[in-house]
Amino acid sequence: MRIGIPRALLYYQYYPVWKTFFEQLGAEVVVSPPTTQTMLAEGSARVVADTCLPVKVFLGHVISLVDRCDYLFVPAIRSIQYKVYNCSKFLGLPDMTRAVVPEAPPILEIEIDINKGKRVLYQAIYRLGRHLNWNPLKVRQAGLAAWQAHLDYRELMSSQGLTPPEAIARIADIPETEQKLPSHEPAANRATIALVGHPYLVYDEYINHRVMRRLKQGGNEILAPEMLPTDKLESAVASLGGRAYWTYEEEVVGAGGHYLQNGTDGVIGIMAFGCGPDSLLMDVLHRQAARLRSTPFMCLTLEEHTAEAGVITRLEAFTDMIYRRKRRQAEVCV
Amino acid sequence: MRVGMPHMGNIYIPFKALFQRLNIDFVFPPVNNQRTLSLGVKHSPEGLCIPFKLTLGNLIEAAQLGADTLLMPAGYGICRLGYYAKTQEQILHDLGYKNVEIVQVGISEHKLPGLLRTIKRLANNAPWTRIIAGFRFGISKLNAMDRIERVVQKVRPLELVKGTANQIFAKAIQAIDRADDYKTLKRVQVEYIDQLNQVPKNEHAQPLVVGVIGEFYVVLEPFSNFDIEDELGKLGVEVRRTLFASEWTKFTFFLNPLGVNEKDRIHKAALPYLKRDIGGDGWESVGEKVLHAGEYDGLIHLVPFTCMPEIIAQNIMPKTRESIPVLPVLCDEQITKTGVLTRLEAFVDLLERKRRAGNNGGQRVNTQRSVHGSLSRH
Repeated sequence: MRIGIPRALLYYQYYPVWKTFFEQLGAEVVVSPPTTQTMLAEGSARVVADTCLPVKVFLGHVISLVDRCDYLFVPAIRSIQYKVYNCSKFLGLPDMTRAVVPEAPPILEIEIDINKGKRVLYQAIYRLGRHLNWNPLKVRQAGLAAWQAHLDYRELMSSQGLTPPEAIARIADIPETEQKLPSHEPAANRATIALVGHPYLVYDEYINHRVMRRLKQGGNEILAPEMLPTDKLESAVASLGGRAYWTYEEEVVGAGGHYLQNGTDGVIGIMAFGCGPDSLLMDVLHRQAARLRSTPFMCLTLEEHTAEAGVITRLEAFTDMIYRRKRRQAEVCV
Repeated sequence: MRVGMPHMGNIYIPFKALFQRLNIDFVFPPVNNQRTLSLGVKHSPEGLCIPFKLTLGNLIEAAQLGADTLLMPAGYGICRLGYYAKTQEQILHDLGYKNVEIVQVGISEHKLPGLLRTIKRLANNAPWTRIIAGFRFGISKLNAMDRIERVVQKVRPLELVKGTANQIFAKAIQAIDRADDYKTLKRVQVEYIDQLNQVPKNEHAQPLVVGVIGEFYVVLEPFSNFDIEDELGKLGVEVRRTLFASEWTKFTFFLNPLGVNEKDRIHKAALPYLKRDIGGDGWESVGEKVLHAGEYDGLIHLVPFTCMPEIIAQNIMPKTRESIPVLPVLCDEQITKTGVLTRLEAFVDLLERKRRAGNNGGQRVNTQRSVHGSLSRH
């Protein structure tokens, strides 16, 4: 039995969990290929115009999986922390997918809500696993293995400074294709830049116009939210806005708040136009950067009409400004 | 300490009654107008919805009038509204109103006791009896207003001289605002409902019935929804809605804790298409469409631009088996009233044609259905 997993939204956070869980129960996992223009166009055509870009991309991936799997896995992650809830788009995702992609194979869904207690959570996991194996013990075993895979995955990223796609490739034993080229740029023209934002924007090279690759090619070192351990992220969230309000707040406010004060030359936030949580969270970072006046901050807003040239221009202007700052600081030191 | 709060429809009247009874020093910003909106838009982060922008405008105007304790709803598990108070406080501080504090009223989690405790704090620890008495009086005013508004909704499409019901309604609101005991309040209510019933009406007309559904704030704040109910009334359409501030108060504060939920029926209707609460009023929008499909002639779906739950609802609604024409109306500062009115007229024309076709027998039903199909696909 083949289970399709779209390479979009929560794929970057949870792919190893899902893969382990389903494979332990004897299913085959099919992942959609990286985003293409056709996928985005097909996804966008199904929904109202003001739906956010990541959801349109997700639906594009779903459409690309229609003929390639027997079941489609679409989770509804409501809450993974006590009284911290997720964006409506994630909660309504399975129902919305069913409504706008009627030709999709049957959807396997699971609702994760930590507020309802462990019992409900375990029942939800069993109900998902039951599609593959009726035996509760087998499902339990698969669940535990999946959880261990998740812990290993997080650990791998934070200890070795890997991005989710790199970590997923390493887990799957795919050799790294990208060789590190020695940079010929002088030291003042190299900077450490943090990219913060939700992984489905930061690592989807099609929709962010290869921001990360471009910066790396310029000889810059790139930091990502996943390279930080959880406690650092949480303490940054607490110092900036008190208790977290959104499920994935630490990827934005936590990582951004940390990198604005620790060891970077600049921070770039990436958000999608019309993103509910980020419209507020990026504002928190904007205000914090303005208050600190120490690290430059830029926010890139993406949508399907965002042109590559526009992104490049903004990146060049931002890095030029950082290099100028660095040169000036170097002169002052001499 | 001077208390201020944002507007939502006529919600300020019950709060005014409450504050007066408790001798709280208060100030209300001017009712929503173009200046409020401009102020809010100017100082909001981009990509936020109209409720944020308007309430921010209100809060800034209240701060300009000397308010230093501002009330704002908040709480977990709703939509981003729960986060607004935090951001708005930051914005006010950055604008130079350093001593302003926003009191977050966590209605979804602390329910009635939480609200009463907040009021007690504002009222300088007045005795509970006075607080409850004041609260009760506020709620009576709210109920009186909504009772009159229901009659207004019925009269608007039928009145011979357009605008009469609105004039009476405006006077009624003023009279309710002035009333300072239960007896006067009761008299005012009876008097104005009588007046409304005596308005000369076209008795033979059978107006189209259109339901207004969507997000709570934009449904209840006429400034944000282009006075859509009034405009529909002018077009001779009767408006129905389930969202009323008084109903919401009654259920959220008194009946829900007892296990009675008016929304259960709506949620049950939505279940085949949307299985869970997605925050805001998205679940309700889908459910209401299903429920009212055979009942009303059409629905107007009010959506603040970039509202997350309503976008999900908008995507799911056209796919339900129960079909009824739905006109989604986005509410945003970039959208002009003229554009909305043109679409309303076209929508009402369509509903009229549909009704005529229905009465003449199924002759034209096919074409109607295709028109409806393309419309609700929007």
